[in-house]
Amino acid sequence: MGSTQESGTEGGVLTESLVVFLIISVVCVAGGLGVVFSRNVIHATFLLLVSLMGVAGIFLLLLAEFLALVQVLIYGGAITIVVLFVIMLTKSDEFESLVDNSQKPLAFLISIGLFVVMTVAAIAADNGNTVRASLKFSDLGHSLFTDWAIPFEVASLVLLVALIGAIVISKQGEEE
Amino acid sequence: MMLLDFTVMEGVQVAWLAPAACILAFVLIVSLRMFDSKIGSVISIVAIASGFAIFLYVFGQFNESGPAEFAREWFTIGSTKITLGMAIDQLSVVMLGVITFVALLVQIYSVSYMEEESRFGWYFGVHSLFAASMLILVLANNLLLLYVAWELVGLCSYLLIGFWYEKRSASEAAKKAFITTRIGDVGLLIGIILLYRTAGTFDTSTIIHIAQEGGFADSTLMAAVLLIFLGAMGKSAQFPLHVWLPDAMEGPTPVSALIHAATMVVAGIYLVARIFPLFEVADPSLTVVAVVGLSTAVIAASIALVMTDLKKILAYSTVSHLGFMMLALGSGAYVVAMFHLFTHAFAKALLFLSAGSVDHGTGGKRDIRQLGGLRKKMPITFVTFSIGALALAGVPPLGGFFSKDEIMMAVMDGRHPVFFLIAIIAAFMSSVYMIRALILVFFGDLKPENQEAHESPALITAPLLILAGISLVAGLVLSGWQDFFNAKHHDINFLVLALSLLASLGGLFLGWAIYSKEWISSRDVAAKFGDLEKYASNGYYLDVGYQWCIDRIVLVVARIVSLFDRIVVNDVAVNGTGYSVFLSGFKLRYVETGKVYNYALAMVVGILVVGLTIYWGLI
Amino acid sequence: MSLVHFQILSAALFSIGLYGVLARRSAVLILLSIELMLNAVNINLIAFSAYTESLASTGQVIAIFVITVAAAEVGLALAIIINLFRSKGSVDIDKIDVMRW
Repeated sequence: MGSTQESGTEGGVLTESLVVFLIISVVCVAGGLGVVFSRNVIHATFLLLVSLMGVAGIFLLLLAEFLALVQVLIYGGAITIVVLFVIMLTKSDEFESLVDNSQKPLAFLISIGLFVVMTVAAIAADNGNTVRASLKFSDLGHSLFTDWAIPFEVASLVLLVALIGAIVISKQGEEE
Repeated sequence: MMLLDFTVMEGVQVAWLAPAACILAFVLIVSLRMFDSKIGSVISIVAIASGFAIFLYVFGQFNESGPAEFAREWFTIGSTKITLGMAIDQLSVVMLGVITFVALLVQIYSVSYMEEESRFGWYFGVHSLFAASMLILVLANNLLLLYVAWELVGLCSYLLIGFWYEKRSASEAAKKAFITTRIGDVGLLIGIILLYRTAGTFDTSTIIHIAQEGGFADSTLMAAVLLIFLGAMGKSAQFPLHVWLPDAMEGPTPVSALIHAATMVVAGIYLVARIFPLFEVADPSLTVVAVVGLSTAVIAASIALVMTDLKKILAYSTVSHLGFMMLALGSGAYVVAMFHLFTHAFAKALLFLSAGSVDHGTGGKRDIRQLGGLRKKMPITFVTFSIGALALAGVPPLGGFFSKDEIMMAVMDGRHPVFFLIAIIAAFMSSVYMIRALILVFFGDLKPENQEAHESPALITAPLLILAGISLVAGLVLSGWQDFFNAKHHDINFLVLALSLLASLGGLFLGWAIYSKEWISSRDVAAKFGDLEKYASNGYYLDVGYQWCIDRIVLVVARIVSLFDRIVVNDVAVNGTGYSVFLSGFKLRYVETGKVYNYALAMVVGILVVGLTIYWGLI
Repeated sequence: MSLVHFQILSAALFSIGLYGVLARRSAVLILLSIELMLNAVNINLIAFSAYTESLASTGQVIAIFVITVAAAEVGLALAIIINLFRSKGSVDIDKIDVMRW
């Protein structure tokens, strides 16, 4: 299934792909940090876009071209735009003063803690495998419409329900 | 003796109908709310009359086929099956007869005696309930059912003593009776449970069988038997638990006749007789029974000597004679005790009903100092009272003579002669107080205020005459009685006979000399015995002692206990628990900030803790 | 470059998103942080599918479903935020605490 690609050399020496990975990672993490630390909602939204595009790059590194495409289309093209619309609709003076809440230090500690735990767990479970496998579009589509046909239909139903639900909920507010 | 000639049924299968009829009468009267209605009396009398008819049938069946027993399963707790059943033997047949017959006469008597009363129907309703409970008590084949009936009987006694509950003394007397007998009942209950623990059954005959096989530890049986005897002491008004019976005279006189002379108070005697084999196995307990009986007989007789209220004289006389019965039981002669129960029931019912008739005829006078010379005004009552008094005094050939003589012989046989001598003294006093009451009420000069006295109506005198007739001849059934119980005939001990007779007649003569001829001044006698007379008049200050006990000990302990209850149980334990829940809820509710991010943080911490716990294998 | 690198990146993004969820006051910013977390998950899913031959399609398919659900969630959440803003005049979740003591 698909091609495999040997990456880097042994012994943890820097390879081209690792360099690319590190650059994209820095973009992702920096964008993420910007989202959570920015005082401006608009800035946060655009920083999220940056971070998500970085994730699309990561997907490419993982040989998942389709997912990278989807990521760009949905997040870059749809979700970010919708969020911007909402920000526009709910624009008020309070955005300036809306910063962080009272449990910020505790949240920081917990987040760091979780990161440490997950990192330690990942390093402990590392088997040193560096062989990646790619997947053809056609194989993914075949799998999606055969093995995953029923979940796929359910997912479409979820989208439909969410669509109707979103309309109903925003309508309710209008009536008041 | 087949009176009813239809399909022959075992007597025992019919016997339950007697209490059932009475319960039905009670339920009818109460549920139809005939509290003031005259119909209540008709229902009640029909029920008890059918009870008497059932007795006749059962008696006939019993003579043909002997003792019988039947039991149905009542309820099951775990693996324990409790049965509900009736037993017919000599004891229960006799009691069945006495109860239904006396109750029938008393109820007929009450129709006239109580006619002025409000709550007339209620009176008869409780009478029916009483008859039913008493019948269940004597028919029960197991101790549990007996205990239930025993308590019901106590309840009816309470209701009837307090019948005129508007009167404070009556309601006080009712409470006193209930509480005093309750002290004994606790003993009875514990005794029954003790027996049950070893025997695993409440069935009377099985328990007796086990005891005779030696299945009980000596100490257990002894304790159980004495505790049950405590119950009998309470119900049968034995010293020192007798104090409630004189006060019970606050109730209507027919009630005194039926419940507090003829039937309920002999329940204790019946109970001891019923489980008599247990007493025989735990032999020393019989000595206790004898001593209690003897002291009761003497003490009550001495109090009866100085009482001035006619009903109180009769009440103490009842206590004294119950003592005689206990003495006979304690001497090992339960057949004799039952015989005395039988003759005494009729004689005492007769006396009480006659006293009620006097009461009725003179407009409510009971103090013998205010009465006198009534024999002209109330001839029938006079005759019946005399017969009752002489029967109780033990004049031959009346019923009391035979039974008392039998008791004396049994005591002579079974106990130390000292017992016999004291018993003779008690019998002597018994004669004196009976003749005293008779003379002071019916002889002498008619007091001017009693000129209006009149004989009672036929509904009252008819039962009197019937009871008088029975009292006259009751003694003659003695030998038949002993055959009935398969008891051996005592050889007649002429010394005992002579002494007993001498005591009776001597007592009568002395009483006659003091109160009629006044050869001896009663004041001088009283002065001679000075303090003793004072003590006796006050019931030997038992009531005062009990009152002191209640005030100084019971109430103080109760106050401490109630304080404990209020502070520890109520405030700390009950309210404290509730308040701590309230308080912790009050404080903890601030955890619910309503802010989503607080909840999310808690969730993450929870996930971390659970994950790390699993990772480190702590679970 | 092995699986562990992607896992660490994923963990970092996830923790950052978590911090955002826990520490921010604006409903919109919390929503953005949730998106970050979902993407961290997606990275993990695809990394595992890439490095594990037998899971090659599974991880990507599930990632597609995650994106689907994320889209639906964003739609609903934004509707709620708009509704909230209309009735409360605010998107400050400190002010939305009616479900408290």
